[in-house]
Amino acid sequence: MNLTLKIWRQENARAKGRFETYKLENISPDCSFLEMLDILNEQLVNKLSHPVCFDNDCREGICGMCGLYINGRPHGPDDGVTTCQLHMRRFKDGDTIVIEPWRAKPFPIIRDLVVDRTAFDKIIQEGGYISATTGGVPDANAIPIPKHKADEAMDSASCIGCGACVAACKNASAMLFVSAKVSQMALLPQGRPEAAKRVQAMVAKMDELGFGNCTNTYACEAECPKSIKRSNIARMNREFLCAKTCSEE
Amino acid sequence: MKLVKLASITKKMTLAAVGAFLLIFLPMHMGLNLCIIRDDGGEWYRNVCHFMGTNWIVKVFEVILLATVLIHVIVAILLTIENLRARGSVRYAVPSKTKTHFGSKYMIWTGGLIFAFLVLHFVNFYFAKFGLVEGVYTVKTEKLQMHITDKVLDIQQQMESGKIDQQKAQEMMMNLQMEYMPYLQLTQSGQPADKLSKDGKEIINLRGKKELESFAGKDFTDYEPDFYVMCNDLFKNKMYSLIYLLALIILGIHLFHAINSIFQTFGLNHRKYNKAIEYLAAGYAVIVPIGFAIVPLFVLFCK
Repeated sequence: MNLTLKIWRQENARAKGRFETYKLENISPDCSFLEMLDILNEQLVNKLSHPVCFDNDCREGICGMCGLYINGRPHGPDDGVTTCQLHMRRFKDGDTIVIEPWRAKPFPIIRDLVVDRTAFDKIIQEGGYISATTGGVPDANAIPIPKHKADEAMDSASCIGCGACVAACKNASAMLFVSAKVSQMALLPQGRPEAAKRVQAMVAKMDELGFGNCTNTYACEAECPKSIKRSNIARMNREFLCAKTCSEE
Repeated sequence: MKLVKLASITKKMTLAAVGAFLLIFLPMHMGLNLCIIRDDGGEWYRNVCHFMGTNWIVKVFEVILLATVLIHVIVAILLTIENLRARGSVRYAVPSKTKTHFGSKYMIWTGGLIFAFLVLHFVNFYFAKFGLVEGVYTVKTEKLQMHITDKVLDIQQQMESGKIDQQKAQEMMMNLQMEYMPYLQLTQSGQPADKLSKDGKEIINLRGKKELESFAGKDFTDYEPDFYVMCNDLFKNKMYSLIYLLALIILGIHLFHAINSIFQTFGLNHRKYNKAIEYLAAGYAVIVPIGFAIVPLFVLFCK
């Protein structure tokens, strides 16, 4: 495949960015998207110019490090996969591919396509955990939890914190991420005692960091590589309302 | 960074709650509007308008309603400003290709257009009530008769108490008669016919303050705007009807996302009845605008 790439290049957070155009030839359709960028970077290094910086780690869709805004969609044209799981067979020979970093005020650009997602960690630090020591892995069925509840909590817990929800949202809202983290613990007995405190603290941090407000557009749900559902947001709203009106926290 | 120190979810819930209140108001307004279709020369419609214009409970709700609209608009603008700021200074070069609910991205725009229509609506109907713009008015003959009788009695009293002499009193009575000549002609001969209601209890169709004064005099304040005639006049204007119908389509788009959103924002959704919520939203967003649209279509094509 022959491709034209338009890639956002930016020296650092303060520098002014711009699009650079690159031509790539003889790319195998079986290449993954990130391998294609590796090939580009090898060529750039051979020409003694700076390679394109992009985040990645496990390359098997579970770590949440990769994340590129490809042709107007976070993680590219496929549903329910991360950028590393996207393959070049999804594109046509001669295509122009525009690659941008996540754009959100709380995610400042570090370099090129790499953004600083520390904001998510800060939200987790506000209460995305259980403060009591829970010990080792408990015996199965030691705490009785209905199957559907366990499944729901597991679905919420599958959020990898890649930030695609923020990138996709027209308001750069982090509601899907925060609600997944709130839900996974609100659904299980271990998380219940601190649920009211948790939801208020995490929402307050989310607001403070400058994420936008949810307008129920559900672009986040459509683009989430882990298919986190909008029902998590509804649950968080419910938890928040109950916490504000009924809890002493 | 936040414009108002309330949590994002609190602001959203405020927006949703006042929006939900407005949803109760719309079908009521629609029901009142539909009274105009009844073929009774506007009797029902005028009665309804009279009730809405004079009942004190309605007046209290009018204030609440106005406050609600203002809160809805202010909170929506606040949230939008915050949302625009959250994206940062550099925007995406390629516009989003994510598939989303139709209308959900344009709530602030559809809302803005509805607000613009609301201003037009107020200018046309509500302002006339307070005499801020020229309207069409009705006067109850009984009330006007009492008003004139009061004046006659006043002159007699002044004469008896000796403040004015007989000649002056006669002159004043003549002036009074001259002033109310059109009214006397109307009640005695029923001419012009289009100014008197069928039962003869009301002077109707008084276009503008000037015509009102020609019948009722300058110091008569107990008149009411005649929304029946104003409404018919406005909707006979094709351009106005078109604007009205377009506003209703935009309202429908706004309402569809709004109703779905209220349940989501208050966390009141569940996979057991999410479908029902969607049908409710679609049903409301179609039926209410159609109910409103019947009035201009009826005036344009069936009158």
